[in-house]
Amino acid sequence: MFNTETSGEAAIPTPVSIGRTTIACIAALILPGLGHLVLGKWVRGVIIGLVISAMFILGFIMEGHLYKPERNEWLTWFFSFLNAGMGLPYLVALAADWGIQVQPEQAAKVTFEYGNTFLCVAGALNMLATMDAYDIGVGRKA
Amino acid sequence: MTHFEAMVLFSLLVSIAFATLSSDHRTTAERVKYGAKVFAYFVGFGLILAWIFYPLPF
Repeated sequence: MFNTETSGEAAIPTPVSIGRTTIACIAALILPGLGHLVLGKWVRGVIIGLVISAMFILGFIMEGHLYKPERNEWLTWFFSFLNAGMGLPYLVALAADWGIQVQPEQAAKVTFEYGNTFLCVAGALNMLATMDAYDIGVGRKA
Repeated sequence: MTHFEAMVLFSLLVSIAFATLSSDHRTTAERVKYGAKVFAYFVGFGLILAWIFYPLPF
């Protein structure tokens, strides 16, 4: 499978078992790119893992913050949903209350909103990567 | 980090992810071409929008 990914030739889609597809989808939500690695898509898994992890880390470097759902603020539900796309890293941050609270000096930084965007898009891309892993698992794409 | 640098970095990372996950582009050459196109669109439209919004007072 490694060879078909790097040779530049279009590979033929081959479905794998339901169990392996399920494990791949769960793995993708534990660590970005892990789902593709489970399916043997090494190059794709490493690229996706590096890109999404970089976006998540850069989001924090830019002083962004993670959202958690607030009862009276419906927009926080939307942004929390995007953040939750990161899977386990988001849940760990939520449980440890890490990167959730916003300090006034943090919000005043020029890159604050960029950081928030990076964190939300990292989650959205990981959801996309999880769906991609599912499509590969069921043989919808190579 | 400036706004422009952040936008370029964002465009680069998202275009790599889109090219990698694309269903319509199957070979490596097609993916690289698509990623470069998405990156150019991101940066190009970002600059056009910035240019349009620049004279606005709000």
